[in-house]
Amino acid sequence: MIKKSIILPAVICLLILVIIAMNTVYSVPTYAPPKEVIWTKPESKIGIAHTEIFGMLERPQVIFDHKKHAEALVKEGKKEWETCNACHPVDEGNALIFDFPKKVVKKEKDSVMNAYHDQCISCHKEKVQEGKKSGPVICADCHKEDHKNVKVKYPVAEFDFAHHDKHVKNKKLKEDCSLCHHTYDAEEPDETLRLVYEQGTEESCYYCHDTEKKRGPELAPIVRVTAKKGLTIRKASHLQCLNCHVEFAKKAKKDEKAGPVECSKCHTGEYKTISELAKVPQPDRNQPEKTLIDIENARMKGVGFNHSSHEKYNRTCRGCHHETLKACKECHGITGTPEGNMVNVADAYHNVVSEHSCSGCHGIKKSEKECAGCHHNIAPVDIETMNPKKETCARCHTGKKERIPILPLSVAGLDPEKVKKEVTVKILENEFEPSKFPHLDIIKKLVKISNDSKLATYFHTKMQTICDGCHHRSKAEAEAKKDTPPFCRNCHPVAYDPEKLNKTKLLSAYHRQCLGCHEMMDLEKGRKCSECHKEKKEPKSITSIKNFELPTRLLEKFGWTPVTN
Amino acid sequence: MDRRTFLKTIGVGLAGAAGGTLLTPHPSKAQVVFDGMEFSGILVDTTRCIGCRRCEKACAEVNNLPVPNISETANEAVFKKMRKTTDIQYTVTNLYETEKGNFFVPWRCMHCNQPGCRSACLVYAMQKRTTGHVTWDTNCMGCRLCMLSCPFDIPKFEYQEAIPRIQKCNLCFGRFNKGKVPGCVEACPTEALMFGTRRKLLEEGKRRIAQNPGKYVHHIYGEYEVGGTSHLYLSAVPFQQIGLRTDLGAVAYPVYSLVYLTAIPFIATLTPLFMLGIARAVRMRKEREEKEEKGKEEKEKHK
Amino acid sequence: MSSVNEEIGNVEIKNFREFWSFFRSELKPKGPIFKPFNIISAPVIVIGIGLIIYRLIAGLGATTNLSQEFPWGMWIGFDVIVGVAFAGGGYTLAFIVYILGMDKFRPILRATVLNAFLAYVFYAGAIILDIGRWWNGANAFFGIRYGVSSVMFIVAWHFLLYMLTLGLEFSPAFAEWLGMKRLRKILGAATVGAVIFGVMLSIHHQSGLGALFAMTKGKLHPLWYTEFIPVLFFISSMFAGLCLIIFEGTISHKVFEFQIEEEHHKAYPDIVVGLARISAGIMFAYFFLNIFMVHHDGELVLLGTPMGYWYLTEVIGLVLIPGLMFIHGVQHKNLFIIRVAAVLALIGIVVNRLNCVFIAYKWNLPLAERYYPYWIEVWITLTIIFIEIWVFRWIINRMAVMRKPPEWAAALERH
Repeated sequence: MIKKSIILPAVICLLILVIIAMNTVYSVPTYAPPKEVIWTKPESKIGIAHTEIFGMLERPQVIFDHKKHAEALVKEGKKEWETCNACHPVDEGNALIFDFPKKVVKKEKDSVMNAYHDQCISCHKEKVQEGKKSGPVICADCHKEDHKNVKVKYPVAEFDFAHHDKHVKNKKLKEDCSLCHHTYDAEEPDETLRLVYEQGTEESCYYCHDTEKKRGPELAPIVRVTAKKGLTIRKASHLQCLNCHVEFAKKAKKDEKAGPVECSKCHTGEYKTISELAKVPQPDRNQPEKTLIDIENARMKGVGFNHSSHEKYNRTCRGCHHETLKACKECHGITGTPEGNMVNVADAYHNVVSEHSCSGCHGIKKSEKECAGCHHNIAPVDIETMNPKKETCARCHTGKKERIPILPLSVAGLDPEKVKKEVTVKILENEFEPSKFPHLDIIKKLVKISNDSKLATYFHTKMQTICDGCHHRSKAEAEAKKDTPPFCRNCHPVAYDPEKLNKTKLLSAYHRQCLGCHEMMDLEKGRKCSECHKEKKEPKSITSIKNFELPTRLLEKFGWTPVTN
Repeated sequence: MDRRTFLKTIGVGLAGAAGGTLLTPHPSKAQVVFDGMEFSGILVDTTRCIGCRRCEKACAEVNNLPVPNISETANEAVFKKMRKTTDIQYTVTNLYETEKGNFFVPWRCMHCNQPGCRSACLVYAMQKRTTGHVTWDTNCMGCRLCMLSCPFDIPKFEYQEAIPRIQKCNLCFGRFNKGKVPGCVEACPTEALMFGTRRKLLEEGKRRIAQNPGKYVHHIYGEYEVGGTSHLYLSAVPFQQIGLRTDLGAVAYPVYSLVYLTAIPFIATLTPLFMLGIARAVRMRKEREEKEEKGKEEKEKHK
Repeated sequence: MSSVNEEIGNVEIKNFREFWSFFRSELKPKGPIFKPFNIISAPVIVIGIGLIIYRLIAGLGATTNLSQEFPWGMWIGFDVIVGVAFAGGGYTLAFIVYILGMDKFRPILRATVLNAFLAYVFYAGAIILDIGRWWNGANAFFGIRYGVSSVMFIVAWHFLLYMLTLGLEFSPAFAEWLGMKRLRKILGAATVGAVIFGVMLSIHHQSGLGALFAMTKGKLHPLWYTEFIPVLFFISSMFAGLCLIIFEGTISHKVFEFQIEEEHHKAYPDIVVGLARISAGIMFAYFFLNIFMVHHDGELVLLGTPMGYWYLTEVIGLVLIPGLMFIHGVQHKNLFIIRVAAVLALIGIVVNRLNCVFIAYKWNLPLAERYYPYWIEVWITLTIIFIEIWVFRWIINRMAVMRKPPEWAAALERH
């Protein structure tokens, strides 16, 4: 039997709880997830989180200052390259394996955690006992709260052609390619002898060590091995490059420089531009300067291809040689083959959405700022285009090794009567004054852009091609014979037709063509309404355009009957 | 009870159930064509919208609402905040910043195939016309259930007026009856807004998606959302990123109240019978008990 | 005080003129005018009537905090929806007495029916204040179109029909007051039919108030939104009504104790305990249904969020705990615990309904955009409540609600 004296206070407490709960509900703040801070210049710091093993972390990740530790060991009197094996294990051949911790542990939570703690904290404790300044031993001093939302992201260290050239020219290396390059012979019974080197087969590390990419039948077994051994591009490059640099540093004399061992010296985040790389000698693999790409039993004439000039447009060979350094037709046959991932040779060269095909790469160039203004509206010609123009195909399929000579375009030949200097658009004036735009100046600018690009000059053979950018359905030769210019309104209707929804009306034809080009070319001018046409002092209403009435025959479809009064 | 009573009870129960079934309202399926007339709608291509707000100005002019200032300086300030439609603005355009760039998205009534607002209206002041327009009429009581029932929160109430109305886009029903396109469609300089039959708009939208595979998300928003709407959107980025809710489901909102509405006739016919039955049973038991009591008393007397 | 215990039905009204003069004579107050309750409520009512006129002229924006985000606020949420839930005692008790034949509760039946009738007249009638275009209020009944797919349509018609039904159920007391014997006989015979019809109507509109939120999916917090809202509202209206009977009965029992007969005084604790027992059963069923719905919709994880805690507060603190208190009070015949539990349950109903209307509705909007009642809304609500209490008191003091009905009427009942 509950006493009266308890009930009332209990009920009052309950009601107070209710009110507090209501207060919480009425002041629920918008919960914003903590913002991730990305350190793009980590300066040799490493984030130790191992979320693949631990999942959601109980304590914040540890930010480990590698440089500090290496310098601390140097201070103790060791040389820089001798400090590595203080923490990192070595293999049978005395090469460093850049794993941590030293002891190999099972990839599960407790063993990994204990291994880290054992190695790190014991070393710290040791140094403290020796009377030196040391690192933390308490949990929160390593697992700092501030580092909870930090993400350490190292910029990719690019081993570009300039670096390669430096290594090639390094007299100490004596042009011994086998120092870095090797392939894997799966059939060799002795496992330790499976890495072999054969001159003339040097290729990029990425072909075998990029474990995330799906490879063809030749590379797939090798990639399986590298993946199993954990030899990702990251691990392989560290093992290969750092060990060599450490070795050199050991043997180097006092003033001689060796390759860097510090993180931020390779992961600089600074990359050379394509034009800078173009000046550097490319790796030599006996590649031809010019070649005729001729396929046996093909329907089209061969294509004259200038390999050396194309080399200068890419950062790496892998832009085109995506699987191996062989020629495209060696894997991609006329019909699809497994080596070519069932892509036939026509598709390999002409696929407009691939990064590796000729048409695809040209398509990527066409989507750059200077070109996109016209080209975003022009459907690329590919093997599915019906009735492509003969001249278009013949531009490449010449049958000769030598390229057709190219001539820059010029406005000199234009008839000033026909090609107006300034054009006034006033067909739809309602709220705005007529729009005047500098027709000839635009043509001149487009011609300059075209002439500045070798690719553009090669394909823009006539001035009419430039005109086609805006006058997209006119036949230039026919237009040249007419008295009136190719007005947009000749094709684009003023009135709205709800039955033909994909036929652009005149108002939007103007705006989408002009604004589309300005947007794709990322121009500063011409993005605001008033820059093209000024507002009228007394504009008519937006909605009084007479032409925008639905034709009666269509209205009847909607069940409309005419309003008589 | 005896067999006759039992059969009578069952018979009455079945009659009640039959009556309930007959009286149940049948959900009207979203018909796109009524007697040869089709729903009209608007297709919004958000990749074409340049944020000029001429649609807002035209809408205000057509509907006698305060005309907004759409000069460039005014627009710059306006796009800093996300706006919703109000009782004086039937359509607003908002700026969304996404990883594929900035997109302007015009907002207005979606003119659903089966509108929640129309189904909620107890006087059918909100009507779905045979031509697809969802319009408001002045027999409205101002109960505002339509505001609660719209998944897009479109109907707006004129709280400040002494004679308040529910305000929302009506797809320019008046202009339509005079043979004109909606004001916003007329004013749009890039044909980001297109007017036509819903069928043709869906075809056009699908054509654009097919012919520009990398450009659009492969879905027209409004094709099945909430049972289909007549106001359709094309987008280059996932629809949540331009403020369109993707968690509304494909079920038309009126279907949710069908659970209740279909139960009404059954309750109306069966519960009175049920209660009569109970009342009768209770009364009979009481009479029986009274008889027994009287019988006992009589026995006592005779003793 | 002596006039309160007069015999009812001494008069015999035969035409409207007699009725009018009788009515005017009855308008005179039957007790002291300057009671504390009158002193507080009278100015509230006077100013309130002024505010009501202001609201009808100036519109909703001037007198409420309603917004485009929150179209429904205190008037619909509290006055109408909570008020109608509280009036659920009318049909529940009528069902218990007339259908299930539990005569134990007959003494409080008339007061409950009167309460329910006045609740519908005043609170459901307060809808007129809340709809923006109140002059079109009759359009649902006589209009150009009937929105038959609308839940609100069903609710509106049922409110009207149920008001009439309750009026019919109470009308025997009215006929007794006027001494119209033949009318009293006819009305008495119609009572059972009216009760059955009324229960059916109540099931419709109590669940209908829940079904109004069926299309708020996505805006009402998932813990409150389920496809079975109508069922939950209906079940909670049953115990809401019974708890209100306990609460309001406590007050009227004290205020009008001189009208009540000795034997009814003695039977009263038993009645309260009986009501508590029934309420507890319904509350446990309701609590179980709530948890079941949450699990069925896969929302158990949401219970860990702030809104989840609020939901648990409502369902455990204001439904389950009062239910347990009822059981305890029933077992130990402790009226105090029962009354406290009834108050908690009523608060729980208020919280539940207001959650659906503006607390858990659009719960994720920032605080600046949320709704809280404006002072005029609260004032007008109080005005209506006070007017209703005044009318209630006027009727109790004149008709046979608490008092014994006249002998000729009791004779009719015995048949």
